[in-house]
Amino acid sequence: MSVRAPYLTPGRLTATTAALALLLLASIVGAVLVGPVPASLWRALGQGGTSSADYTILFRTRLPRVLLGAVVGGSLGAAGAALQALLRNPLACPHLLGISGGAAVAGVLALLAGADALSPLVPFAAFLGAIGAIVIVTLGARADGRTTPHAILLVGVVFNALAAAALMLVNTLSSYLQAQGVLFWIMGSLSTQSYTLVAAAAAYAVAGLAWLLRHALDLNLLAAGEEGALQLGVDVERARRAVFVAASLLVGAAVSMSGMIGFVGLIVPHLLRLLLGPDHRLLLPASFLGGGAFLIWADTLARTMLGPAELPVGVVTALTGGPFFLYLLHRDLRRALG
Amino acid sequence: MTPLLEADTVSFGYGARQVLRTVSLTLLPGEILGVIGPNGSGKTTLVRLLSGVLAPSAGTVRLAGRPLTAYRRREVARRLAVVPQDPTIDFPFTALEVVLMGRAPHLSALAFPRARDLAIAREAMARLEVAEVESRPLDRLSGGERQRVLLARALAQEAEVLLLDEPTTHLDLRHQAGIHDVARALARERGHAVVSVLHDLNLAALFCDRLMLLAGGVVVGQGSPEAVLTVDALQQAYQTQVYVGRNERTGAPVVLPLPRR
Amino acid sequence: MRRALAVLLLAGCSASSPGPGSSGPPARVVSLAPSITEIVYALGEGGRLVGVCAQCDHPPEVARIPRVGGYLTPSVEVVLATRPDLVIAVPSPGNREAVRALERVGVRMLVVHDRTLADLWTSIARVADALGVPGAGERLVGYVAGRLDAVRTRVAGLAPRRVLVVVGHNPLIAVGGDNLQDELVTLAGGVNVAADAGATWPTLSLELVVARAPEVIVDAAMGSEATGEALFQALPNVPAVRAGRVVRLAGDTLLRAGPRVPDAAAALAAAIHPEAFQPAPTGITPRAG
Repeated sequence: MSVRAPYLTPGRLTATTAALALLLLASIVGAVLVGPVPASLWRALGQGGTSSADYTILFRTRLPRVLLGAVVGGSLGAAGAALQALLRNPLACPHLLGISGGAAVAGVLALLAGADALSPLVPFAAFLGAIGAIVIVTLGARADGRTTPHAILLVGVVFNALAAAALMLVNTLSSYLQAQGVLFWIMGSLSTQSYTLVAAAAAYAVAGLAWLLRHALDLNLLAAGEEGALQLGVDVERARRAVFVAASLLVGAAVSMSGMIGFVGLIVPHLLRLLLGPDHRLLLPASFLGGGAFLIWADTLARTMLGPAELPVGVVTALTGGPFFLYLLHRDLRRALG
Repeated sequence: MTPLLEADTVSFGYGARQVLRTVSLTLLPGEILGVIGPNGSGKTTLVRLLSGVLAPSAGTVRLAGRPLTAYRRREVARRLAVVPQDPTIDFPFTALEVVLMGRAPHLSALAFPRARDLAIAREAMARLEVAEVESRPLDRLSGGERQRVLLARALAQEAEVLLLDEPTTHLDLRHQAGIHDVARALARERGHAVVSVLHDLNLAALFCDRLMLLAGGVVVGQGSPEAVLTVDALQQAYQTQVYVGRNERTGAPVVLPLPRR
Repeated sequence: MRRALAVLLLAGCSASSPGPGSSGPPARVVSLAPSITEIVYALGEGGRLVGVCAQCDHPPEVARIPRVGGYLTPSVEVVLATRPDLVIAVPSPGNREAVRALERVGVRMLVVHDRTLADLWTSIARVADALGVPGAGERLVGYVAGRLDAVRTRVAGLAPRRVLVVVGHNPLIAVGGDNLQDELVTLAGGVNVAADAGATWPTLSLELVVARAPEVIVDAAMGSEATGEALFQALPNVPAVRAGRVVRLAGDTLLRAGPRVPDAAAALAAAIHPEAFQPAPTGITPRAG
């Protein structure tokens, strides 16, 4: 699609990453200043003090939420890029593999067991659910000691279908308000006020990204063919497992904190790959930064589109990502046939 | 002289099906060995056993005297390069990026290619006449260009042993000769050894020092092209009538199928 | 005035579908919503109930009545097995198919609404009519309306306070406009800050809570009190938080459009104007000022 350099140099890596980091920073600042309620930064920092309405709005409701959006979007973006390489499918989506389903089901069960919707028990339970899903899918997909992308995809999709059914079941059994809680999992929400949560999530996400980066070269080789990778010296089985677990943990954490937000992990890596090339040494950090920026803007729209009431952020990502995904699919099909 | 690559009575089977039975071969430095035989005779399986992708159910494969299993994968990759038959790559890597992958066994996990790696990659591409397409993504190349890019990748590995699985399927006459000239130059200049699985018996006769004829998973002939390409052996292996003549210019045998009654 | 309204409504035609053998008042009644169960008992006809939904829990005597499925998911078979003469339902997202199925089989269905106070009076009247006790219906309407009037009187003359009623923590869901709960807030001497949010149960962003500056926050969400506190403590400049007027309302009385609506109104009024209600009625946990 674009004219780009024939290979990746450290210079290009630094420059592109820096540019994307600036974009993310600008998005954070921009999104904090935008909202359904007008709030002035000057007033917040000036005479209002920390208990003024402006300060509360900007720094107690918007900033933590925007930062969480950056972390969740980044996690989903990086995980999406890694999983697309792992499954050798440029249109794979991190939620396909059942991890999000496992997290959502566990989170909902915690809610039904009586935990308050804001209790930290819920994301914790969800994270355990994600890990459970990872274990089940990895074991289920293994045959003869080998875990092929094909098997991972099949088992993951089935597991996801089961999780979706479980969520429906819970929905029917619960009261109207509990059903609203279930909606949180299906459509996602970035609303938070806790800087501690955001900081912990950020540390975790960066660690996950670093782990993925260790296998960036392996991912390049794997994306170009499994046997080729094997013959170029990659320990395919180990690399696959490590990448799958790292990516899944990133997705699991993201879903635990903010529900299933779709299309970020699908669209952002795909688009960046078209623009920047498939070298994962650049694509992974780029998808992290780009995913964060994209989700921040989607959430800003969700907060402001309908006036006082809020849209779930998953609706906005679906409405923007969905048509774009169809367009990409159409383009790919035309290219394959023509 | 230690053989660079050795297969010692290797067998391989899937369950009840035996694909290869007690196949042995030795490959000395500077040798070009052609593996020929009808479809299903186990040629590709043999290549995969030789590269270590598959483990034999019996027998051993040895690289430079040591069993393959004793090596770590990266060590094998530095000494043995494989060009697979016809892989599809769904990601838009450029030709140069693909060739640079051949340097991966020599680079650590996060290292970027150095000037030397780039030079080796570009030289390999020049040898295979794909230098002009280095910036083009793989899915925009023709079948022949793609095959030569993968060959260049194998060359960039600087491996002593080169395994080629049907390297000429998409190549026109010029390039069919071209890659075998490259292979022969490597063998002669650097003492590398090449195993080339070929469909085309005449190419095999022309370019290979020795031939191995496989049929039904067993070796039915091994030696010089003249010795292996006999009417009886070929008719038995391919189950069809053939004509064997002589290339006047080169002295190599020429094989042609005869129409069946 | 309310009595006149009730009589007028009773005089109107009901939308129940008559089934076979529907002459005379029904002896076997199934209720598919908790509010309806309470209305039936309040009319003194609890003895006729042969099946109730799983969420029906008031009054205590209802415990011995067999369950026929959930409020959102009634079971057509179990309902039919009770051989009902009349099934009363409130439209809910999940029971539309069941209601239609029962109608098709020929069971006498009465569907009443519960969105506004006006719906409540109509429901009581129509249920009483269907059960053949219109007089009890009139009396019940009068009783409930009277108790609501009492609450209204108690806070009359007090300056209305800005109120936010929260029914869900995450996402933050509030009572919006155009529904019974909103009417109760007004009746209890409050002004619902979320009434214009364009939805009956809007999801609000926290910054909106800050901007609308409610003087009282009524926390009627399920879950622990502690997390509700934590949620609002992070917004220290909201008047309700500053004055310590974040009041927890336990249970789901607020959401049930039945004869106990005045209890919910009283609880709201006590939360909004605590100075008019000393000591606080049960069901409320006021916070120290």
